[in-house]
Amino acid sequence: MIKYFVLLGSIASLVLSTSARTLTVYGQATGKVTVNLSGYQTGRSPSSRTFLSVLKADLNRSGYLHVTSSKAAINVRGSCVANSTTIQATVQVYNAATRKHLLGKKYTQSAKKTRALAHKVADEILFAVTGKKGMASGKIAMVSNRTKHKELYICDIDGKNIRQITKDRSIVVGPRWAPDGKSIVYTSYKQGYPNVFITGKAKPIVHYGGLNTGGAISPNGHYMAVILSASGNPELYVISLRTKAVKRMTFTRKGNEASPCWSPDGSQIAFVSDTSGSPQIYVISSSGGRAHRISKGGSENVAPDWGKNGIVYSTRRGGKYKIAIVDPVRKTLKILQTDWADYEDPSWAPDDRHIVCSRTLKYHSSIYLLDTVKDSPVPLVRASGNWFSPACSP
Amino acid sequence: MSIYKWISFSSLAVCATLLSGCQNPNSGGPGGSGPVIIGTAIDEEPLPGQNDYPENADRSMFPHVYFSYDSSGVESSEIKKIEAVADYLNSNSSKAVILEGHCDERGSREYNLALGERRVLSVRDYLINLGVNSSAIQTKSFGEEAPFDMGHTKEAWAKNRCCVFGIYDQ
Repeated sequence: MIKYFVLLGSIASLVLSTSARTLTVYGQATGKVTVNLSGYQTGRSPSSRTFLSVLKADLNRSGYLHVTSSKAAINVRGSCVANSTTIQATVQVYNAATRKHLLGKKYTQSAKKTRALAHKVADEILFAVTGKKGMASGKIAMVSNRTKHKELYICDIDGKNIRQITKDRSIVVGPRWAPDGKSIVYTSYKQGYPNVFITGKAKPIVHYGGLNTGGAISPNGHYMAVILSASGNPELYVISLRTKAVKRMTFTRKGNEASPCWSPDGSQIAFVSDTSGSPQIYVISSSGGRAHRISKGGSENVAPDWGKNGIVYSTRRGGKYKIAIVDPVRKTLKILQTDWADYEDPSWAPDDRHIVCSRTLKYHSSIYLLDTVKDSPVPLVRASGNWFSPACSP
Repeated sequence: MSIYKWISFSSLAVCATLLSGCQNPNSGGPGGSGPVIIGTAIDEEPLPGQNDYPENADRSMFPHVYFSYDSSGVESSEIKKIEAVADYLNSNSSKAVILEGHCDERGSREYNLALGERRVLSVRDYLINLGVNSSAIQTKSFGEEAPFDMGHTKEAWAKNRCCVFGIYDQ
């Protein structure tokens, strides 16, 4: 018993609450909760071993947890068995100090979806321990010129399981997920002109004369923001996906608009406009009206994405692109510390804490994971060819 | 199908210019009420609907028009090039032109699609002012997606900021 109190006393800081959901026990000065999976058993099958290694990597990548084989604040026990068709995992999660049971569950899945099962379990363990929403089950849509043509690809948020989605031997630009996380809206030149397409439909969904790009569906799935030059100038529009009615939002005769994205509650749209002379980030009510500029500093501010913790975008400062986050209400600005490379096209991960973006060094682009709290950047996709324009699933 | 779309688009545009509230961004659309129309400012010239892309247009007849960094304005040194194209089109009514816009690699890909489009639309404005029928002009922006020079020097960038004239039969 005394040994126990000594152990507790040696922990850097300690916060307890009565509810299991908000329990946080800090085991190290890093502020992460330590998790021990040494007691977790896997069979001999490769699938069960893959399950455990993917699970551990997901827990570590979450930013909130640290997997250790020493004494930890949280113990995960259970076992995983798999044959060629099915994988089964039981998971028991305990607070090591109080022995309180935080999660107990049995999972069954097709063996082909072993990685997806591990991602799901990782998110459930994270939630049981910290009450935070994880990103392990997220997907990234991105563009690559690996085949010499710019095609659309998808991968899991850990950078694995890369699949080629289009084979049009044309040019894909600017993929965005639909809010149900099942389809991707993107611009393609496959019919000769830049038109907006959605995966699963061969015909374009927006194809006026001129430029059709920047398709972004609203969180409730009813509207799509888009850039059209059909009036004679590239402007921001909102299209009703049900009635097909089209509403023009900007009237900047000498300015260009680009890259619309919706606020999480769908009430506003952030977008790029160079009406002031250089590309900057503006916000407009989704029912129309005046647009307000929210970017400050930098010679260019482009590629916004709006999440619960603010609008992330790429800002050009000192000749390099860096990642900036602005709180549109408090107007506070934070620029993430990054190295000498160019960081562009940021997209919020589903945990509202991490950001996926492209990193370009010496004209070679790869996909990276950045943390808005403290962790260092992590490469996700560095396969041959260039990988860019990532978008995370909701 | 494209002609129909153009007719319905321009008639909507005409209605928009006649209605007094047409430039009120609050009329119609999400959260609003009333007819939803595509607003068009009085001095804008809507683009025709999409036709088949003239892949084999002759792009060698006329020199490229070049632009300054982050600019879509036509420089005075480039005006003669546009005048030559206007003269040609005004004398050859069976011919049309596709204006293809390009950017250098700086700026985001999506912003560059709009910038490239804005560049060719500036050239289009000039051609229309010189008497060319708007139905004889198509536009296509490549943004930074299809540069002529794959280099990363200022010289390469300057070559890539351009409008290309592709002549084809209407």
